[in-house]
Amino acid sequence: MMHCTMDDLLALRAGEASVWAREHARVCGACGAELEALYQRVAQLRALPLRRPARDRWPIVRAAVAARRRRRRERWGIWSLAAAAAVAALVVFRPFWTGQIAGAELARVKQESATLEQQLRRYDPEGRVTSGREAALAAALEDGIAVIDGELAHVGPLDPQADRAALVELWQQRVDLMQQLVSVRVTRATYVGL
Amino acid sequence: MTISLAVPDILVARAKSGDLEALEALYRAFETPVYNLALRMLRRPEDAEDVLQETFLEVVKSITQYRGEGHLWGWIRRIAASKALMRIRGERVRAAEEFDEETASAPETRHGGTTGGVPARIDLERAFERLSATSRAVVWLHDVEGYTHEEIAESMSKTVSFSKSQLARAHARLRRMLDDEGAVR
Repeated sequence: MMHCTMDDLLALRAGEASVWAREHARVCGACGAELEALYQRVAQLRALPLRRPARDRWPIVRAAVAARRRRRRERWGIWSLAAAAAVAALVVFRPFWTGQIAGAELARVKQESATLEQQLRRYDPEGRVTSGREAALAAALEDGIAVIDGELAHVGPLDPQADRAALVELWQQRVDLMQQLVSVRVTRATYVGL
Repeated sequence: MTISLAVPDILVARAKSGDLEALEALYRAFETPVYNLALRMLRRPEDAEDVLQETFLEVVKSITQYRGEGHLWGWIRRIAASKALMRIRGERVRAAEEFDEETASAPETRHGGTTGGVPARIDLERAFERLSATSRAVVWLHDVEGYTHEEIAESMSKTVSFSKSQLARAHARLRRMLDDEGAVR
């Protein structure tokens, strides 16, 4: 006599079994007992005692959080200085740059930045789980991009020609950071599949 | 045994603002369930502790992304399961487990067959620990945590059929190990 397989029993439990399996389990004492045993095993699994970790890992987590915050503050300082230096360079050197930088160059880096933005959106970091190291690296890069975005917002009212040279420089910095960020995200998505 | 997993909204709001005391309170609230999830999937306490630590590093970093849709435990559990599954994918766990799985598996899945030389009367916890890491993960996520096969397949980057067959295979093995009639009470 043919009995239910484990697939049949699991399907019965899930309410997805075939007509044959439902009818057979109803009339076959052995298969009825198997189904009952399956329910009991699952109930016992759910009732297994809770274990507690031998060591408290919170101090390690707290220390890592503190270190990350400290590094973040330091990076903010560095990026702010770099951005301020870029703006200062714009003010000092803009006469030399005037007329030398083509508008096409600015359009090129902006386009490159937009392409990278699209690429990043496809990998949706919010929907992925990341390692601590990757997250710290990504956060640092995002901070750098945010600082440059702030500076880009400030250089707008300057002289159009000098403005263009500085803008190219800042946009190029932004593109460089975004390329690194894409590399972090895409590499992880490709190799880890998350 | 069950524990309460409810946390006040105000605590979550404080944690989102970076308040370390609130973050520690969340850690204390979810430490045991995260550890147990990881322990059941990975078996080794040190691996489970590592997953606990990695999970909360991620929680602290990403708590601002939790928008209150669904229970906080569901969100944290997803992170913990992902961290544990990443470890299962690692060579160290896999190499140690595959031997165990291969040596104990038998082609029979229809009940009434042989016990395949496996000790007949061992308790469920020990039998569960003898499953491969992948089988343990599927059984625990499906039967205890309530994941659907679709959710498991997505978490493991596998197909729904893979999840279903892993579950059937694992239960067939558990049944054989427990020698159903006598050991399952």
